[in-house]
Amino acid sequence: MTGAGLAGTSLLGAAGCGGASSSGSSGGGMWRQFAGTTLNFVSENTSPTTAIAANLNPFRELTGINVNVLQLELGALVQKVALDIGSGEGAYQVIYADPYQIMAPYHEALADLNEFNADENLPSIPKGVDDFIPTQLAAAGRFENGENLYALPYDCPTMIWMYRKDLFDKHGDKMSQDLGFDPTPSPSLTWEQYFQIANWFNENQDEVPYGTGHQARQYDSLMCDFSNILWSYGGDYFHSKKVGSLGAADPGPSTLDEPEALEAAEFYKKLISIAHPGSVSWDWNATDEAFRTGQIAMAPNWHEFTAVDQDPAESAIVGKIGYSPLPKGPVRNANMWGGTGVGINGASPINEQKAAWLFLVWATSPNTMLMGMKSDVGGGTPTRGSLYELPEVKKAMEPPSDMPNLLTYDAVSEAWKPENIGLRPKIQSWNECDTALYTEVSKMLAGLKSPEEAMTTAKQYFDDAQTRVENLASKPSGVA
Amino acid sequence: MTTSSSGRATGKYIVLYALLLLVLLWTLVPILWMVLSSFKPGVAQLSPTPVFFFKPTLQHYVALFTGGNLGAYFLHSVLAAGISTIIAVGLGCLAGYGLARSHFRGKQHVAFWIISTRMAPIAAIVLPLFILFRYINLLDSISGLIVAYLTFNLPFAIWIMNAFFTDLPPSLEEAAMVDGASRFQAFYRVALPLVTPGIVTTAILCLVFSWNDYAFAATFAGPNSQTLPIAASQLNTQTGLSWGQLTAIGTIVVLPMMIVGLAVRRYLVKGLTLGAVTGE
Amino acid sequence: MAATQTERNGSSTKNASGGSGFSLEMKMLVPVLLLLAVLSLFPFFYIIWMSLNTVSLINGISFDFAGLANWTRMFTDVIVGAAWARAALYFIATVGLEMILGIAIALLVHELVWGKNLVLSLILLPMFMAPVIVGLLGRFLTDSSYGLYAYVLREAGLFDRDILGTGGSALAAVILMDVWEWTPLIVLIVLAGLASVNQYVIEAAKVDGASYLERLRYIVAPSIAGVVIVALLVRSMDAIRYFDIITVTTNGGPGNTTKIIPIRLYETAFRFFDLGYAAAIGLGMLVFSILVANVFVRILASRGLAK
Repeated sequence: MTGAGLAGTSLLGAAGCGGASSSGSSGGGMWRQFAGTTLNFVSENTSPTTAIAANLNPFRELTGINVNVLQLELGALVQKVALDIGSGEGAYQVIYADPYQIMAPYHEALADLNEFNADENLPSIPKGVDDFIPTQLAAAGRFENGENLYALPYDCPTMIWMYRKDLFDKHGDKMSQDLGFDPTPSPSLTWEQYFQIANWFNENQDEVPYGTGHQARQYDSLMCDFSNILWSYGGDYFHSKKVGSLGAADPGPSTLDEPEALEAAEFYKKLISIAHPGSVSWDWNATDEAFRTGQIAMAPNWHEFTAVDQDPAESAIVGKIGYSPLPKGPVRNANMWGGTGVGINGASPINEQKAAWLFLVWATSPNTMLMGMKSDVGGGTPTRGSLYELPEVKKAMEPPSDMPNLLTYDAVSEAWKPENIGLRPKIQSWNECDTALYTEVSKMLAGLKSPEEAMTTAKQYFDDAQTRVENLASKPSGVA
Repeated sequence: MTTSSSGRATGKYIVLYALLLLVLLWTLVPILWMVLSSFKPGVAQLSPTPVFFFKPTLQHYVALFTGGNLGAYFLHSVLAAGISTIIAVGLGCLAGYGLARSHFRGKQHVAFWIISTRMAPIAAIVLPLFILFRYINLLDSISGLIVAYLTFNLPFAIWIMNAFFTDLPPSLEEAAMVDGASRFQAFYRVALPLVTPGIVTTAILCLVFSWNDYAFAATFAGPNSQTLPIAASQLNTQTGLSWGQLTAIGTIVVLPMMIVGLAVRRYLVKGLTLGAVTGE
Repeated sequence: MAATQTERNGSSTKNASGGSGFSLEMKMLVPVLLLLAVLSLFPFFYIIWMSLNTVSLINGISFDFAGLANWTRMFTDVIVGAAWARAALYFIATVGLEMILGIAIALLVHELVWGKNLVLSLILLPMFMAPVIVGLLGRFLTDSSYGLYAYVLREAGLFDRDILGTGGSALAAVILMDVWEWTPLIVLIVLAGLASVNQYVIEAAKVDGASYLERLRYIVAPSIAGVVIVALLVRSMDAIRYFDIITVTTNGGPGNTTKIIPIRLYETAFRFFDLGYAAAIGLGMLVFSILVANVFVRILASRGLAK
């Protein structure tokens, strides 16, 4: 079925006629076969979900299905999903399947979406699975192998370099002179140069108190921020390259104690030492708050903050922001990707799973994603390649824009390329490893441990945790 | 003589009021700042220097009640906390009296067991309770929350009421029974009114513990039974912690308590008086 | 006191245990206890069983008997040990400060003649805010960019580093937030006790020329000792379990300086899904609470106020 609803009307155009196309993605009958069902969608409290929750009427009219959207903080979400799956309750049919905290440990509890996609009695993914950006489909949707599909890519926040364009314009010449290179942010600048630029800001101007700020709180955010640098220096959590994209049940020993990782850790410590002192208690939200109220000149942060940064009611720097992929290290560029997919709970009754499939198809359809981008209450950037080709979308990539997140398109599209994208390990023990990593790096930043001690300890914890999980998996008594 | 003693008295009062003023400042400044901030537009809240003069806005409250479904959350909180408190206090009075007035070997241990059930760390008991609730179909319901809150309110109520009843000499009830009242009437007409302070204290505390609960609600509540603390934590979204909405929720949470407190303040202190009856 | 004691002893010889079948007292007590038992014994035994197994949630809950493995691991786990040490420090600091401040404030409020009701209503307010909200409010006040308290401290030249981002100050900050919220609880309970102190004895002492401190020490303190212990017990039970404030402010950081044991427990259960191990940690916390409570109850009992 071509042009699925690009004109902005209902997804399927002729909702009234039956079986208009043989590929099965239109035809009112197919969409209405579960009318009267109620679905529960449990999600992290993210923008795309807020946009969808505010706009469920089209789906209800199309299918007759009611959807309850429950938005929770990520930790609470993980707990809820764990209890639901563990108790076999299956109360939440549609799950926001965070690839690292939910999909990796629980992929066996999620339904394989290929079956639904191939089912002739159910709509299939408009434009096919390949319309999703390939790196994101692998990272959000698959585990261990390239066949099973556990989730459809739903959102794609990516860390990029955000900076005060007005300050760079104003001081650019002097910076060039003092530093000996053109400081205009671009992926060809190095992290070392980023450090020098930040230092320059600290010492040579007073419009903003500090040059750089980071999300270095003892939390997931620290792992995200640190990982960019770790990867750019050629270090990594494990050797296996597929651990990031497809994930692995057996990633091998951790490589955090290798020289590249140590070098990265030492650089990171140096960088944070000249950053805004609040950095060590900031998560990504607080970092953006500092940025948009003029406390820092630049920061690595998630591109989805653009919408609020360009909102005059929330931001003091509207129109003064520039975007670029993150700087590179001695080995490569790396931009942390934080996207997620939506999946179906395998514990729910099969009819509800099929109804959930309808919702999945709708929520990730080109039309709904377009609607999300324009939404007043939220929305992210689409995970479908084709949407970026639309004229109205292309227009929104330049200011003034009614879809502000697209202002970052040049930066993020670079960032999503396989050689630039930063993907953290998708392993079953990731939560424990993540906690160990950000704890140890936090101790390093607090001066309680040297970079070497921190990395070595982290590696030990990684290996311990993964060993325990693998031992569990190899036991025959009905345990995953 | 009189001048110096009244001088001493005034001096005492000045010190008293000064100290209490400090206490009130310590207590109220965060709350006042929170209420003030809830009316500030977004940028003003994040200003590096504190802003006291600004153009007030109701946008955060509007956002909470329209987009955020806060009215429903508020109702759920009130129902779950209120009903659970009533049940806990009611049953607590019965069992507390029963325990205080009965004598059997091992009574000490039973009393200790009762209060120890409240000591279990939440993250540990959540899973078995979740399974239990699932079997008796109490998930995602106000009734489920009420029962969940009972797990900590009930032992607490029993234990405190037991303490108050034990302090009450049985002589008054015995006198009533000699006059022809049944045991239950002695309880209902004589003992119960005398432990009003206990009832008031217990009720307030049970209300506080249930109203404030986040852990149980996060576990057992579903789309139809979310409570206020959950609403507050939901404000911590992936793209921003809306301080405006948070301060607004905080104000909404504190306001009814302030009103209730002020309304019953006359009874609060009177109710807390253990009375001259015990004559200790 | 002495009279009531003999009375109680007297009636206990009258009604020997199980003497007259189901008296009214038992009828009032037993059903409620049964309800309580259902709500508490099932989880209790379940957790014990969990602690002896490796538990998995995939495809329904499954148990894999592991004997004492979780327990031995817990006793050799450095992270858990450190979390306990910090919890002990946190416990002593918060409960200690709350008791001292609570009693002091109760004494002050008790002396008030005019406006007592109003002041009391205001002082009790912090208790009514969920710890989650108190924590977030605390963050709002201590943020180095826009926090009111951070601003004041900076301008006064007292502290200009990031409050929640520096090891020592982060711990102090979360302790103070807890104290802010829960001191009113102590005030409430102690005030109830103060109100029952026999006024005639106080008046007599005043006539005899006793000073405030002397009256406090010899009359008031012994009278409210029982109530104070009750307040201590009530607060202690929760002080070891509550962690919402820390989760929402520092999440155990920076550098694990605020990671107390209930946080580690939650992480183990619901981030790492290591439920068997979490059960062991949870039981450890329960044992600790019982031991502490036992001490307090014994002190209560020795004062003839045994419940």
